[in-house]
Amino acid sequence: MAISVKVMQRPEPESTSYLRAALSGMALTFKHMVNPAKVTQQYPEEMTELSPRWRGTHVMEQHADGRPKCVACGLCPTVCPANCIRLVGGEDDQGNRYPIVYEIDEFRCIFCGMCQEVCPVEAIHVGRHFENAEYTRDRFVYDLDRLMEQDHPSTLLWDPSDPSSE
Amino acid sequence: MADMVNVTIDGNEVSVPKGTTVLEAAKTIGTEVPHYCYHPGMSSPAMCRLCLVEVEGAPKPMPGCVTTVMEGQVIHTQSDQALKNRRGVLEFYLVNHPLDCPICDMSGECNLQDYVHAEGREQGRGIEPKRVFGRDDFGGDVLFYGDRCVMCTRCVRFMSEVEQDHRLTVVERGNRSVIDTFFEEGLEGTHWHGNIVDICPVGALVSKDFLHKARAWDLAHTPSICDCSQGCNISLHTRDNLVQRIKPRENLDVNAWWLSDLCRMDYEWMNRGDRIEAPLDRSKGGSKVLGWKEALESILRATERSEGSVKAVASARASNEDLAAFKRLVKGLGGGEIVYRSPRIEKDIPLKGFPQLAVRRDRAPNTTGANIMGMIRVGDDSATGGLEDIAGHDGIVLVLGDALEDQPNTFGANAKLYVYVGQHESAATTSAHFVLPTTTKAEGEGTFTNYEGRVQRFWRALDPPGMARPAWLVLGALAAELGCGEVVRSAADSFAIMGVDAFAGITYADIGDRGTVINEIVLVTGV
Repeated sequence: MAISVKVMQRPEPESTSYLRAALSGMALTFKHMVNPAKVTQQYPEEMTELSPRWRGTHVMEQHADGRPKCVACGLCPTVCPANCIRLVGGEDDQGNRYPIVYEIDEFRCIFCGMCQEVCPVEAIHVGRHFENAEYTRDRFVYDLDRLMEQDHPSTLLWDPSDPSSE
Repeated sequence: MADMVNVTIDGNEVSVPKGTTVLEAAKTIGTEVPHYCYHPGMSSPAMCRLCLVEVEGAPKPMPGCVTTVMEGQVIHTQSDQALKNRRGVLEFYLVNHPLDCPICDMSGECNLQDYVHAEGREQGRGIEPKRVFGRDDFGGDVLFYGDRCVMCTRCVRFMSEVEQDHRLTVVERGNRSVIDTFFEEGLEGTHWHGNIVDICPVGALVSKDFLHKARAWDLAHTPSICDCSQGCNISLHTRDNLVQRIKPRENLDVNAWWLSDLCRMDYEWMNRGDRIEAPLDRSKGGSKVLGWKEALESILRATERSEGSVKAVASARASNEDLAAFKRLVKGLGGGEIVYRSPRIEKDIPLKGFPQLAVRRDRAPNTTGANIMGMIRVGDDSATGGLEDIAGHDGIVLVLGDALEDQPNTFGANAKLYVYVGQHESAATTSAHFVLPTTTKAEGEGTFTNYEGRVQRFWRALDPPGMARPAWLVLGALAAELGCGEVVRSAADSFAIMGVDAFAGITYADIGDRGTVINEIVLVTGV
């Protein structure tokens, strides 16, 4: 089969001129200059409004005497779909079951919040927090002390007055 | 047959021997009637009231664990009446049960949890406070959480009927009744008390050794064989490539449902970290890591150079396959005497209620296998000594599986060729020309022969460290190169070519997970 050549006509200058598109773009820009509704957010002076369903890095609740509320039941590492929780249970000097090791790899975590849902003692929570920058990767494995030090609030998905969502 | 009885259970007609209980008859159609106090190895007091089933014509529900079937009986285990009864009984059980499943070691394998989940009420109705006992140390390996107890008295009956050493009893009455020891006596000094933790249907009796160690659902279960010449059937419960605990596995021909405390606690050696991980060549000084092919070729070249008779040390912890391959290798090198050492305790400790089971004197799993293959036991009852003529031997010295921990570092120093095949190094292995890493029983497949000549299989539960391989594979390959036997690639094939009359005609399929008796019974004779 012979190769045929189709000669394309150049478009007329009216339809190729950038002038019209540039002007309409500029119009939008100038419209925003005078628009009272601001789009730019002055972070960090001005914080973003988080969704009520926001699930961020974890918080471990503690008793008044500073012990973690966790009883090392092993349900959160079992339910965790990302397999990011490492737990070794043990017994403290008062005979209570407690976590000797409790680590969450926040890089592996997919923030589904199932650890919070499954926890029978309302100990582990996902938090209302998103500023997680660190200088090294290993700092993203939060151990028990770090989880208890977290001072940001827990997610709004959990209501302390109605812990089992009834 | 004359003494068979035909009954109808849940619409299924079954024929069972006369005297069978309803509960056992229901098992034949695959229906497990919930129960606590009934255990097939002990008497039935019919006190848990959970196995009540509806029998047509009977005025009230009958306890399935003690009611024997009668000709033409029609039994319903899942009728409205039976279900309503179980629902009610389970609610009573939860009146005082603390429901502390998150911190209870039994969680995940608990009968109360399972039954309530399957048939109990969704919501509790109790408003009264629950009575609290706290926990009690029963001595030995057992902790007692009185609040969780459902008063099935299996533990009391085990101690009185099976172990026949009355150490436990029920004290107080009504809802204050609780299991207790006599004064300060406790369970110390008994040899089978670990079984009461197994038979406890809830988390009332837990093991101190396993306390808070792992959750039941995280553990992988692998069938295996215990480490004394009784050959108890066990299950290795593993997590993170470590053995976490040992539980008995039912086998009515060997150990029924029971396991001794000595065997139950003997698992840490399988978790040892200081293992030989690669074949080592020390024949030219230093310690050079070799690949397997290189290592076996070097050993074959060395055997051509080395002259002198062969003296060999085997281990009664090695499987039948390992010992047979070792024997073939020794034969290929010109033949020689093989000795082994094994620990012994003073005397058998029988389980009085099941006398065919005992903690056997021989504390190694395969002494019978070694004896059948003509190996000779040397040394004393703590598996030391007895190797004087081998330590200074100037021919070829082969060691399989025995870490020689009592021997000095001059062991085998005069040997022309000294090959050590095992799991751990010690002072006596420093002069070895070649060191080959092999697997333990937890890391490979194989068979042991118990004291009565029953050959039983074990399976692989852990990943072996580094380049460790089963000894039957390594030694079998060397023997095959020397013209004895053929190269095999599986434990089953290795068993098939053992060439020992006692095992002739038996295959892995015959052995299965219940074991089979070997052709000629060779009694273990003391040395």
